[in-house]
Amino acid sequence: MIVAFLKKGILHEMSYRFAFLLEILSILFFILTFYFITKLFGKVAIPYLESYGGDYFSFVLIGIAFSSYMGVGLGSFSGNLRSEQMMGTLEAMLVTPTRVSTIIFSLSAWNFIYATAEILIYLLLGTLLFGVDISNANIGAAFLILFLTLGSFTGFGIISASFIMILKRGDPVNWILGNVSDFLGGVYFPITILPPFVQVISHLLPITYALRAIRHALLQGYSFKMLLPDILVLVLFCVIVLPLSIFFFKYAVKRTKLEGTLSQY
Amino acid sequence: MIETVNLTKYFYSKKTIIKAVDNVSLEIKKGEVFCLLGPNGAGKTTLLKMLATLILPTSGTAYVNGYDITKDEIGVKSSIGFVGGDERSFYWRLTGRQNLEFYASLYNLFSSQSKERINQLLNLLEVELYADRMFVTYSTGIKQKFSIIRALLHNPAILLVDEPTKSLDPRAASHLRKFIKEKLSREQKETILFVTHQIEEAKELSDRIGIMQKGRFQVCEKKEDLEEILEINHEEEGN
Repeated sequence: MIVAFLKKGILHEMSYRFAFLLEILSILFFILTFYFITKLFGKVAIPYLESYGGDYFSFVLIGIAFSSYMGVGLGSFSGNLRSEQMMGTLEAMLVTPTRVSTIIFSLSAWNFIYATAEILIYLLLGTLLFGVDISNANIGAAFLILFLTLGSFTGFGIISASFIMILKRGDPVNWILGNVSDFLGGVYFPITILPPFVQVISHLLPITYALRAIRHALLQGYSFKMLLPDILVLVLFCVIVLPLSIFFFKYAVKRTKLEGTLSQY
Repeated sequence: MIETVNLTKYFYSKKTIIKAVDNVSLEIKKGEVFCLLGPNGAGKTTLLKMLATLILPTSGTAYVNGYDITKDEIGVKSSIGFVGGDERSFYWRLTGRQNLEFYASLYNLFSSQSKERINQLLNLLEVELYADRMFVTYSTGIKQKFSIIRALLHNPAILLVDEPTKSLDPRAASHLRKFIKEKLSREQKETILFVTHQIEEAKELSDRIGIMQKGRFQVCEKKEDLEEILEINHEEEGN
């Protein structure tokens, strides 16, 4: 089943080849921007980035790469649902014996593969062209953190899709997490430079723990034991948010079927 | 094959209750072509979508191929093919064949099975020539034929067809009706519930006709009585 969705995603993407090429170029220019910002201000940042090795470019490269991955977890379910509603293909899928939840998950499979490829491009360009050092990385821990991050953001993503199913446009979960996560979660700067009361809010977001842990794992090679506090918080997010998201999703499907708006947009 | 028991669907807006389907009980036998006739907004599509489990009834229920629409969604969906009137329901930048292969996987058909079935259906609907062209290049008539192929992929016992000729020119519409009557009904022995608002279309296609008006339903046992019933309904509505 998932293979069919992936094949469809690849074929669809290949019909827009030029867009894919532009995407790679965008990544390159985005990286270049931060490379030169680091050249300009990098030394000022060193004291704030000691626990990450002191290099701002490495810090921000990993922040950007992984925040886009989290963005996929958060936005792909609702985005795909809305896009299939708009294209008119959702109804055709919903009359097949495949479960709604399977359809929603499978629709996002291609986005996750695409986002994984993007992360690899970020890391490859960063290490090969711009000297980012991940030779001491704890790869096993990085994968575990990635998996847990995906779990918690997928949970929020499914809640977001549930809102889209009912409201069609304007889901608050995606808006709040999408808009504040980059700022409060420490994508571009360590949250320790934020005022203390703002840092409290930062600690309510999974991205804060995910980014800190992934940077420590990749740039400093922290051991599992050293990463345990952040890993435990991510596990907690998964345990709470995932079951909640399934509950919301089932409610949304039932409500839209009662209202007769399941495939409307 | 299809049985509805006091099937009812009300939609609630702020101050009004819209009785889209009001206490409908009907029975469609195996191999029958049953046309559901009525003006726009009569509740025909709502009834069809309830049978396809896309909308939950307010009360009552229906059995499709023996499966309860409120309790056995997967059983119902495995038994039906749904042909909607919306030509957008395909991926326009993929070819017709790629689209059909994708939907075949949603009907749990394995690759080899689906390839064979798709070729068989492309041949049956005489659209092999178009299969490897991008969907966006098709005429409305060809798009509608691909909708029918998609609905037949898993060899369903029942076809639910929602106004497939509404955007076709008269020649293409006539060709499609002929195909449904001769190939699907007579040769393939499909049970077909066909929704339309065109009287002549209903007469041409159906074994029996059901009339829907403002959510209410009545069966027209003899086609000759159709005009008379519609006239009476029209007068009652006027009063």
